[in-house]
Amino acid sequence: MNNDDEMKFFLKETEAVREEIRRVSGSVDWEALPGLIADKALAEPRRAEPAWPAAGPWGWLWALRMKPVLAGLAAGLVVGAAAMYFILKAPSAGPAADSAYYASGEFLDRAELEMARRNTLDYLEKSQYMLLDVFDSAGKGPAEPAALRNERARDLLQKKKYLNAQLERFQMAKAKAICDQIEMLFRELSEISEEMSATELQRIRVLVEERQLLLKINLVKRELQSGV
Amino acid sequence: MRKVTLIICLGLVLGLMPAASALRADVQTADESLFREVKLLVFDKDWRTALGKIDELREKFPYSPWAGEALFYKGECLNGLGDRDREALRAYKDYIQLVGARQNLIEEAEGRIIDIALDLYEGGDAGALRDIETRLGAANDVIRYYAAYKLSFVSDKKEAVKAAPVLKKIVETETDPELLDRARIALLRVSPESLKAAEEGQPRARTTARTLHISIRAAGQKEPAFSLNIPFALADLALSALDDEDKAAIRKKGYDINKIMNELAKSKESLLRIAGDDGSIIEIWID
Repeated sequence: MNNDDEMKFFLKETEAVREEIRRVSGSVDWEALPGLIADKALAEPRRAEPAWPAAGPWGWLWALRMKPVLAGLAAGLVVGAAAMYFILKAPSAGPAADSAYYASGEFLDRAELEMARRNTLDYLEKSQYMLLDVFDSAGKGPAEPAALRNERARDLLQKKKYLNAQLERFQMAKAKAICDQIEMLFRELSEISEEMSATELQRIRVLVEERQLLLKINLVKRELQSGV
Repeated sequence: MRKVTLIICLGLVLGLMPAASALRADVQTADESLFREVKLLVFDKDWRTALGKIDELREKFPYSPWAGEALFYKGECLNGLGDRDREALRAYKDYIQLVGARQNLIEEAEGRIIDIALDLYEGGDAGALRDIETRLGAANDVIRYYAAYKLSFVSDKKEAVKAAPVLKKIVETETDPELLDRARIALLRVSPESLKAAEEGQPRARTTARTLHISIRAAGQKEPAFSLNIPFALADLALSALDDEDKAAIRKKGYDINKIMNELAKSKESLLRIAGDDGSIIEIWID
């Protein structure tokens, strides 16, 4: 086939197509066409929407299945938030993550025993100072004001109340016996007024000396200290 | 005649006054010396003899001020005898009802009532606990605090936890270290979460660290054989209260309580890991 033949064949085929176009254009209602296109465009999404699954606790999964991007985003948020929570909640040092207070009953008993030992030692030391003050006041030493002495005696009486419970519980009989005797003296001291102090203090001094209270305090203190 | 009668009467009154005064002085001396005798007997724990003297004092001198105060010592004697708890309780309760009862003896008597009530409760008298519970609302701090402290020892946790609000208040408001430590340990026993809340309510400046953790694992074990989380304020006490074997292992590695405390204090987030000869691991850290 030469070039002229090719050209003729081309024009003939083109004429056939042109005829087809003219025929179709004639059948189109150009005035109604835009409305028709708009209606079809708006109707398209509703037709494409699948039927919603039956309502139920897992119904939301259907939506996630249909929207993988959203599902991935939500899953990422949940995992990320959980990871942040655990990172922030964990202690910065140390192997355990639990920050709540706890201790076994056995340990608390041991802690109470240790506290009893320390507090009894402290009570005995303070008692010694107090009794030595009484000796000074009853003799020629500098007398402590009665009000101050009474207050200190009351303070020691309050401490003794707690010691009673601990000393009985841990069967610290020797310490309890000496603390009981001191308590009795402090009860007296807490009541002695300024004007009657000289005679009363002398009476207490005699009692302390007769019963060798300071020596007994030292012995019990030594025993308690050896428990360190 | 009237004048003569008046003079005679006046003379009689004036003449009898010193005698009456001397008689009164003798009475005061007699009841007071009897009371002193009682106190000496109580001091020496001679409970039965002291009880006899108290009865004599109250019988012979019922209106003496010492007779009223002797009620407190009657409670002491009955309590000391051990098997007369209920009588002792009665005596203490009678004393605190007395007009003119002394404040320090009232506080002492209230404390004894709480002690005896707990003993009676542990001995099976469930109603005795009421004597402690009512004192949780006492206006006097000394009585209220002591009631809460003792209630924390009750074996029934539902009852013991009633002490938590008062104990929490002690941790939040008191400054006496001895009282604070007691309240902290009592709260750890009955309501650790209340202790946590109370400690977190404190200004941070008071302690830089909040919690002390101790974990002890046996050789080759992942789970600790012993662990505790307690307020840092109790750290010193906690380290002293460790099991003797663990304390020995710590000492063997050249550590003592002071060194541990110093090392922990150097860095707020330090972790002290001590390996025992038997392969056990002791970990101590604060945060």
